[in-house]
Amino acid sequence: MSIDTKIVAEDALEDLRGRYLTFYIDNTCYGIELLYISEIISTQPITQIPGLPIYYKGIINLRGKVAPIIDVRLKFGQEERPYDDKTCIIMVNISDMQVGLIVDMVADVVTIDDAIRNPPPESGMRNGERYLSSIAKVSGKVVLNIDCEKFFQSDLRPY
Amino acid sequence: MAIDPSMEPMLEVFIYESTSLLEQLDEILLESEKSKSFSEDNINEIFRTMHTIKGSSAMMEFTGISTLAHAVEDVFFIIREEPARMGQVNETLFDLVFRASDFLKTEIESVQNSGEATKDPSSMIAELKQLAAVMKGETPPAGAAVPAQDAAQAPPPPSGGAGMVRIKVYFEDGCQMENIRAFMLISQLKDLCDQLETIPSHPENDASCCSDIIKNGLILDLKPVGSLDDVIHAIENAVNIKTYEVLDDGTAPAPAPEAPKAAPGDSAAPAAPKPAAPAAAPAAAGPGKVKQSLVSVNQAKLDQLMDLVGEIVTSESMVVGNPELRGLKLDNFHKSARELRKLTDELQDIVMSIRMVPLSGVFQRMNRIVRDMCKKLEKDVDLVTEGGDTEVDKTINEAIGDPFMHMIRNSMDHGIELPEERLKKGKPAKGKITLAAKNIGGEIVITISDDGQGLDTEALMRKARNNGLLTKPESEYTDKEIFGFIMLPGFSTNKEVTEFSGRGVGMDVVRQNLEKVGGTLSIDSKWGEGTTFTIKIPLTLAIVDGMELAVGNSVFTLPITSIKQSFKLSEGAQLVVDTDGSEMIMIRGQCYPLIRLHQIYGIETQVTDLADGILMQIENSDKVACIFADELLGEQQVVVKPFPKFLAKYEIKQMGISGCTILGDGSISLILDANNLLNSQH
Repeated sequence: MSIDTKIVAEDALEDLRGRYLTFYIDNTCYGIELLYISEIISTQPITQIPGLPIYYKGIINLRGKVAPIIDVRLKFGQEERPYDDKTCIIMVNISDMQVGLIVDMVADVVTIDDAIRNPPPESGMRNGERYLSSIAKVSGKVVLNIDCEKFFQSDLRPY
Repeated sequence: MAIDPSMEPMLEVFIYESTSLLEQLDEILLESEKSKSFSEDNINEIFRTMHTIKGSSAMMEFTGISTLAHAVEDVFFIIREEPARMGQVNETLFDLVFRASDFLKTEIESVQNSGEATKDPSSMIAELKQLAAVMKGETPPAGAAVPAQDAAQAPPPPSGGAGMVRIKVYFEDGCQMENIRAFMLISQLKDLCDQLETIPSHPENDASCCSDIIKNGLILDLKPVGSLDDVIHAIENAVNIKTYEVLDDGTAPAPAPEAPKAAPGDSAAPAAPKPAAPAAAPAAAGPGKVKQSLVSVNQAKLDQLMDLVGEIVTSESMVVGNPELRGLKLDNFHKSARELRKLTDELQDIVMSIRMVPLSGVFQRMNRIVRDMCKKLEKDVDLVTEGGDTEVDKTINEAIGDPFMHMIRNSMDHGIELPEERLKKGKPAKGKITLAAKNIGGEIVITISDDGQGLDTEALMRKARNNGLLTKPESEYTDKEIFGFIMLPGFSTNKEVTEFSGRGVGMDVVRQNLEKVGGTLSIDSKWGEGTTFTIKIPLTLAIVDGMELAVGNSVFTLPITSIKQSFKLSEGAQLVVDTDGSEMIMIRGQCYPLIRLHQIYGIETQVTDLADGILMQIENSDKVACIFADELLGEQQVVVKPFPKFLAKYEIKQMGISGCTILGDGSISLILDANNLLNSQH
């Protein structure tokens, strides 16, 4: 990589920082740092695999690559609901591995400054809130930002 | 000293190059040790190897490695100049060079892992220096001097005095059975000579001298009855002779000019050996020495290529089997599709063959282990390897190195007895371990057998009893099941822990490593006569012939190799339910457990009545069962994909699923693993 392209690549990464993809589960708005996201796809036929925790829906064929799929509702301990045309799979890159997250609906991409991000409350957290990194208010909407490392911790931890 | 980042790519090349050079070095050393001498070729090769390592490690600033390489180089410099000198120090020399080679290997490994070479070779260098001094004659050798043994390097002068002629004969490359040919030649010449002595002296009795004859030629010391020309004429007319030369005709002090003879049909006869280096030239042109043009490729790229070919195969069947084409009459399309199919099949074969490597590399390493352990345990063991040219997939080749090592160590340590003990039992003092590989129908079968003391079923049983491992009455255990105990974790029959084994982790690890590549291990043994381990591994993990089964909305692929038969319940089979409610299928009077796929995998399906679905009888090395699925979809060749790394933590394999594959329509099918399915049933 020449020095020029390196700088461009670094700039692009810098651009992604502080930018979040927001999505909905029921009426709650969550955000994931754009850095982690590779693409958003519509729902696909999912192949079940036995022997996995309940929140794994199975695996899909993403252009020849096999990727596991997690239903965020189930991961958060909420009830499953049938998929509709708004249901999306967000493909996330974590530790060089791809994994898909099923969400009710993808909203948009927002920039959240460090200044308006507040740490999540220490106590009284519900199941899903264990995975939060911060809470922010963007144009009148509360966004709960998911910490990807925490979210996938139980899967990434070896044995 | 840390590595400069700009050196990274060079470091990789350095590691690769040095490792392969050291492997070659080991091979040469072993070969030389067997013949108890270094041929000129081998000396040069070792010299070159050390020189290369010295140069490249100095460039990479690994001073330790380079000084040690330099010391070894020095020793071989002396040997190269005066081969006879090494006779005094034979054993010490081999030991020291082996140790130096080991030292270099560990250092290079540590460079690979941490980027640094840490150990100090100075003590070894001092020993090498001392050795060099001994050889130069500056200090007397420490032990009793070993008499010069290398007849081939410096053959004693003909003993018969005047009239004796020495003739060196080379046979054609690759004519095989050189010793027999030598014998035939000798018997032809016998009538023409008063006296006839040969080196080696009785070639017909010992097939192992073939390589000597190839390398050094057959040396004839003879006294002709008539004229020398008669003898030479006879040699010229004998079959399969490549060249001969008269080294010393008894009268003229200077060697007579050699008379190369173009053998019939051998148009590519190599250049006549030069008088200066008569031994080297023919050997260099000998079989197996041809340098092939090879390219080393990053394995990740090969994996990528393999993946890509898998994709092409899949998308090809997606195009050809596209539902939108159904019902259309497309003669030309199908013709072209067949053409494409042929090409992709060919492409697939070639990519698979690229990934195949011969087992000889692994076998070679075992030779080294046997040699070292022989010295340490004071046992005398011969390792015989067969079928080293059998090829397996690169990943498998890498995975079986460790299991082999453990098994050879086990055989050496527990199996083979000490020489005195062997003699007492009426066995030859020299033990024998055979390592044989064969390719039998899509599987590689490797056997490791020793002629040692065998496994003691009673001792195994006692140990199992003490460890509380028995699950049924003792009398019900078959020998095979008892042998199986040694594959359990923490089970060792050796009374004490030795350097090599006894901690009871060996066979357990062996089994696990083999299972990782889809292999199986079985043990057979006879008390007092020896033990045989049989390993079966699939040729390749990448592509499997499978039967597609539907269960509810899921599709499973069952490898055809594990299917015994498929049948409907009505065809002479019967459902039997035993007292605790487990279902069994009775076929021809035999009962087999029933595995309902929809039940064990929790899949919803309409087909739950056995009569509506299909039954498949599956088997592994020791168990048989029937599995129940909704429907048989047909046979297909599938490309095996491992599960995403993300799921590595979960034990999907234990559920009887070994991987997945992408079907023609883009959907995913899970590949069943009969072995695990059967083992999970109790």
